[in-house]
Amino acid sequence: MFIKDLTCISPQRTFEGDFFQSEPVIYTGSQLIAIEPAYESIPNSQLRRMGKSNRMATGAAMPLLQKYKTDGIIIGTTDGGMEDCHRFLNQIIQYQEGTLTPTNFVQGSPSSPAGGLALMSANSGYNNTHSNKGLSFENCLMDADLLFIEARAKSLLVGCVEEISQAQHRIETLAGYIKKEDVSSDKLYSSKTPGAVNGEGAAMFVVEAKNDNALAEIVDFDMISYPSREDLLTKADALLKRNGLTTDDVDALMLGFSGDVNTDNWYHGFAKDLFPQTGILSFKNLFGETPSASAFATWFAAQLVSGKPVPEMTFQRWSSRELKTILIYNHYQGNQHGFVLVRKPAPSIPQRGK
Amino acid sequence: MGRIVVTGIGVISAIGNNASENHSSLQKGNTGIGKAQFLNSKYANELLFGEVKLSNKEMLASLGNSVVSGMSRTELLAFTAFKEAVNDAGLSDTELSDFDTALLSATTVGGMVETEAIHADANTNTTPSPFVNSYRSGAHTLQLAKAFGLRGYTDTMNTACSSSANSIMLGARMIKAGKCKRAIVGGVDSLAKYTVNGFNSLQIFSDEITRPFDANRKGLNLGEGAAYLVLEREEDAVKKTIYGEIRGYGNSNDAYHPSSMSPEAVGVRGAMNGALQTAGLKPSDIIYVNAHGTGTENNDYTEVHGMQQIFDTVPPYISTKSFTGHTLAASGAIEAVYSLLSIKHQEIYPSLNWQTPMPEFNSKPQTEFVANAKVEHVLSNSFGFGGNCSSLILSKV
Repeated sequence: MFIKDLTCISPQRTFEGDFFQSEPVIYTGSQLIAIEPAYESIPNSQLRRMGKSNRMATGAAMPLLQKYKTDGIIIGTTDGGMEDCHRFLNQIIQYQEGTLTPTNFVQGSPSSPAGGLALMSANSGYNNTHSNKGLSFENCLMDADLLFIEARAKSLLVGCVEEISQAQHRIETLAGYIKKEDVSSDKLYSSKTPGAVNGEGAAMFVVEAKNDNALAEIVDFDMISYPSREDLLTKADALLKRNGLTTDDVDALMLGFSGDVNTDNWYHGFAKDLFPQTGILSFKNLFGETPSASAFATWFAAQLVSGKPVPEMTFQRWSSRELKTILIYNHYQGNQHGFVLVRKPAPSIPQRGK
Repeated sequence: MGRIVVTGIGVISAIGNNASENHSSLQKGNTGIGKAQFLNSKYANELLFGEVKLSNKEMLASLGNSVVSGMSRTELLAFTAFKEAVNDAGLSDTELSDFDTALLSATTVGGMVETEAIHADANTNTTPSPFVNSYRSGAHTLQLAKAFGLRGYTDTMNTACSSSANSIMLGARMIKAGKCKRAIVGGVDSLAKYTVNGFNSLQIFSDEITRPFDANRKGLNLGEGAAYLVLEREEDAVKKTIYGEIRGYGNSNDAYHPSSMSPEAVGVRGAMNGALQTAGLKPSDIIYVNAHGTGTENNDYTEVHGMQQIFDTVPPYISTKSFTGHTLAASGAIEAVYSLLSIKHQEIYPSLNWQTPMPEFNSKPQTEFVANAKVEHVLSNSFGFGGNCSSLILSKV
């Protein structure tokens, strides 16, 4: 499938800013908070009622939905409106199950962004929400790919949103998935301590079945849970083979290094086993860790294959090769592993009028 | 490409702990709705629920060594139904761990059922509770994958009350497109303080037993349960018992309101039309409809109105939520299992508690059990908040 257009709200100036022309924003601490735009595409009355994930998903997706006619909306989000969710939970406990207002309950549902976008763009087409922790974006890609294969859609809005909720942040920290100490994001990979840093944002794509002056192509994707090291290599190898590629065709790996000393060894092992010479890029020192991290990686990779300069702090192993094909490999907490293969599309053949 | 057939089913609900218990209750017209014994909520005594008649401890004991510590009720329900389905289909360990075996599940509440533990982990605990990895959506799917050694595609959908209709749909589509060889599909939700209070705040609970499609309906009773189906290609299932095929599916968004449905039934009609289209069937081919039928004012009106737009003559329709209560993300899969049982046994189950026709329509649900029916094609509807509408057509093979 082909990426026709894309937007991203993230801890970097990716939405309306000059991300590729300036130095990345460096954060200290374990939370990389999204830089939110003014949300001009959302009426104020609606904006006020939205929780953060709804706001970011809507803010990122509406400009695309206004610009393109899409046949459906597929959203990935694990936590959805987690802040609202915990607010509702706290009220249940605080008021001992008294009379509560439903706003937080409704906003807290992961299906709220996809439903809200359908409502705002009057789109009664296909609508689905994947809420599968670290593979939610790969799930969206499968769903979209099938609609294209079935010829039930030509163009789709696909994307992910995640918000940092303070309650979930504390839970993840308690469980050991988030760093307990403050770390500067430009020194994330020298921290050598357990846990990642939390991130948030929304990455949205208009994907099309055909290449009509596309920015980038999502060639293929795959996933596996609880693999052995061999399983992972078998999967990656099969993914390249079925697309007629070898490891040498990959110009760079984009790996989900999170700075977690307990799980980053997956990436080191993967690169060592299959791509000992290939250039390596990171992205979580820009965007932080989220269950939908591979959506942000795909946004980043699509920009790079379309010619944007590589921010220096993302080069983990330098390569002089032009970036035409990037293999994203990301895992979530060491359990769910996903691949997305992004490529610079061939120049599209002009359509002849009939 | 051949048909996508169902070779295994597993279900646990208020009317039984396995498929044969559920079947027997459906035949006899025995509802499972009543007072909740295990739900930890002040509403447990005030309202009626479709609660599974097993404690967590009992479920844990019957699961034996496939479970790990720190499993929420959601996970226990999922494991119970999942195990029944894969055993029923006779899937070997090798087949389960095949890269080509997919697992597509669904839930809304997930591990949020452990309200007190979450609250403590988020606020006061200095060491994590045993449930710390269970809270987030997708946790039960991961637990299933880990426990049963699945290495293929996994997915967890949350489109509120239509969630597991979507997991069935996506599993069938994946097999059809050659993305996997077999798929275990379904969903789960447990009765939870979180959802009980959520639905209460929306004021859609009935203070008496739910009466789907009745003029005097007052709302829904919340239920819980899980169901899984094993989907395979017909050519891979030659020696197996086949319950039926996943013949058609449709998904459409109502694009009207976050928590109620449009009077024009845009999404409802879109989903049913989509299902008929993919099935290559005419509306008159549908023998009966397993309706979404929540018993709320809004749903039942919209659903009958939608059916009247699609069908010249509305076929018999039932709401098995009058047996189970509304099991949210599990309902699509539970009702798909019921549809398959009715196809296998060639019978139609009754819709319970109906007395008075809705004033807007000259229409009533099927209220009698029909044995020796000729059931070829069943349409099963699932509609959720956020405008998510999905329909499935299950057919006799």
